[in-house]
Amino acid sequence: MSTTQILFWFLSVLAIFSAIMVVASKNPIHSVLWLIAVFFAISGHYILLNAQFLAIVNLIVYAGAIMVLFLFVIMLMNMNADTEPQKNKWLKIAGVIAGGSLLLVFVAALKNADLKNQLAQVNHGDIGLISNLGMELFHNYVVPFEISSVLFLSAMVGAVVIGKKE
Amino acid sequence: MNAIIFSAIWGVVMMFSSAFLKNKNAIRLLAITGAALLLALNILELYQASQGVHFLSIDTKGMLAFETFGMLANTVAFASTLLFLLFSAKDIEEVGPNSGDYFALIFFVLCGVALVTSYNNLLMLFIGIEVLSIPLYILTGSSKRNLKGNEAALKYFLMGSFSTGLMLLGIAFLYGASPTGSFFIDDIGIGHGPVSPLFVVGLLLLIAALSFKVSAAPFHFWTPDVYDGAPTPFTSFMATVVKGAAFIAFIRLFADSFGEAQAQWQLIIAIIAAATLFIGNITAVFQQSVKRMLAYSSIAQVGFMLLAILSLKQIAQDGIILYIAAYSLATIGIFAVLGRLKDQTYEGFNGLAKQHPVLAFVSTIFLLSLAGIPLTAGFFAKYYMLTALLQTGKFLWLAIFAVLCAAVSVYYYFRVIQAMYFKEGVEQEIDASAGFKNLLIIDVILIILLGIFPQVLINALSILYL
Repeated sequence: MSTTQILFWFLSVLAIFSAIMVVASKNPIHSVLWLIAVFFAISGHYILLNAQFLAIVNLIVYAGAIMVLFLFVIMLMNMNADTEPQKNKWLKIAGVIAGGSLLLVFVAALKNADLKNQLAQVNHGDIGLISNLGMELFHNYVVPFEISSVLFLSAMVGAVVIGKKE
Repeated sequence: MNAIIFSAIWGVVMMFSSAFLKNKNAIRLLAITGAALLLALNILELYQASQGVHFLSIDTKGMLAFETFGMLANTVAFASTLLFLLFSAKDIEEVGPNSGDYFALIFFVLCGVALVTSYNNLLMLFIGIEVLSIPLYILTGSSKRNLKGNEAALKYFLMGSFSTGLMLLGIAFLYGASPTGSFFIDDIGIGHGPVSPLFVVGLLLLIAALSFKVSAAPFHFWTPDVYDGAPTPFTSFMATVVKGAAFIAFIRLFADSFGEAQAQWQLIIAIIAAATLFIGNITAVFQQSVKRMLAYSSIAQVGFMLLAILSLKQIAQDGIILYIAAYSLATIGIFAVLGRLKDQTYEGFNGLAKQHPVLAFVSTIFLLSLAGIPLTAGFFAKYYMLTALLQTGKFLWLAIFAVLCAAVSVYYYFRVIQAMYFKEGVEQEIDASAGFKNLLIIDVILIILLGIFPQVLINALSILYL
């Protein structure tokens, strides 16, 4: 096994284990901490795929900013293991069946997927660097890039409308 | 392109108007002017496209395609918005103190409408759907003192973001399944040889997400709560303009039939359509509140609109524009009347005919049109849908089922008419000015004109193009 493969398996196991722990933890704060581990593992995968910029942004934005917000909200609402509401048993079973079916479909789809000849470049390649990303973003994808500003503006106006005192 | 740019700019103008204009009437006038200008600019673009000149021409790298179908849909959406603002702009002011911001959000939604009617790339579909939905989450919860509205907004937001996540996952799968790695629908839509499981999963997720946005059957659970909880004017906007636009996105996605996957997705859509018709109509029968009944009836109408997706013919595209126009005209009208009533259950309509004959008469026409009675626009809308379906030569069972469901729908629409004409009710004050009544009558005339000459709309708009 090459180093890349070892890293890949390590990161995958870490990501899946942490993701399961996010759902399984009783304490919401522990869930958030496990979620940070998931983000780190995913960022590792991005680096393996030569998407260095994406990896860093993922860390800064998700593991940094968004997680801090999550922690704030959880602490402000004073949630802990005791206050977790009792869930209906049938609801749980229905959730397991629905989620399991989705998993089955995904496994079926990915098992036969013909992606083997499209492996990422390893060791060399600079496609994920900022300069290349910027060229792509401002050439081929400039229209969606600009139009997403309308999306953010509307979200900002919305936040102000909701937050303003009456 | 005119519509996308202008609606975004006018959204910003409305945003500033609430800061600089203290006079509410001025803000309202500004919003109505904006909607009228938007409509005019869109028709101008339709006309100019036929002459080969463009007011604004931007190289979108093929991400957006401004075709007649999309621009016709835009025209219907903007005309509905104009009508909606003329009816309900005053009601919007009563929702809360930030009326300028509400109008701004409405214009941002219109930008989303123009995007989803012209997208040519799944990325643009995603952004368009988001621009369409995010302002709606806010508008649903804009009445901050109303607990039901808050609950509706939160529910809508959580479920809506989840469905957007599913959509993004579906898009990623489709990207992975396409041999060249492309987001373009002309590339993905023609299909590439035998169908791969990856492709099927992607398409399924996309169907699920779009069904959520148009509130088709297994994904409709949010609709009654959100439509009931949101302030009435915004419910009217959501149920007409936004639903119509999401539908255009749906039909554009399937216009190229996805090659060999056609039989598979057609069966899925047929089942969704049947389930939507059944659940929408049957549940609507048992409602006590008219607002909730209209929410379920809007689900039932979606069942009919889904028939257009199954048929890949030109008549389906003409038909869906007519359907959206007919449905929007009637729904905006009935919601405008409903918004003026204090009691929004069936009892609220009791004896309306004696006290307010004009309101009762126009409501009757709106409800008849929704039920699809001849001489109203709703009849030909349903007729076109069924013809389009039958022309495919398949799905005869679905057509029969749809007609049966339409018959069921007559029951709950006529319950309101019966309450207005044949029941005694208490005297009630209704704030209906002469201008409001005249608008309602114009709306009724439009519905009847479309019911007698259904081709007028399509031809009048296409003549500009030809």
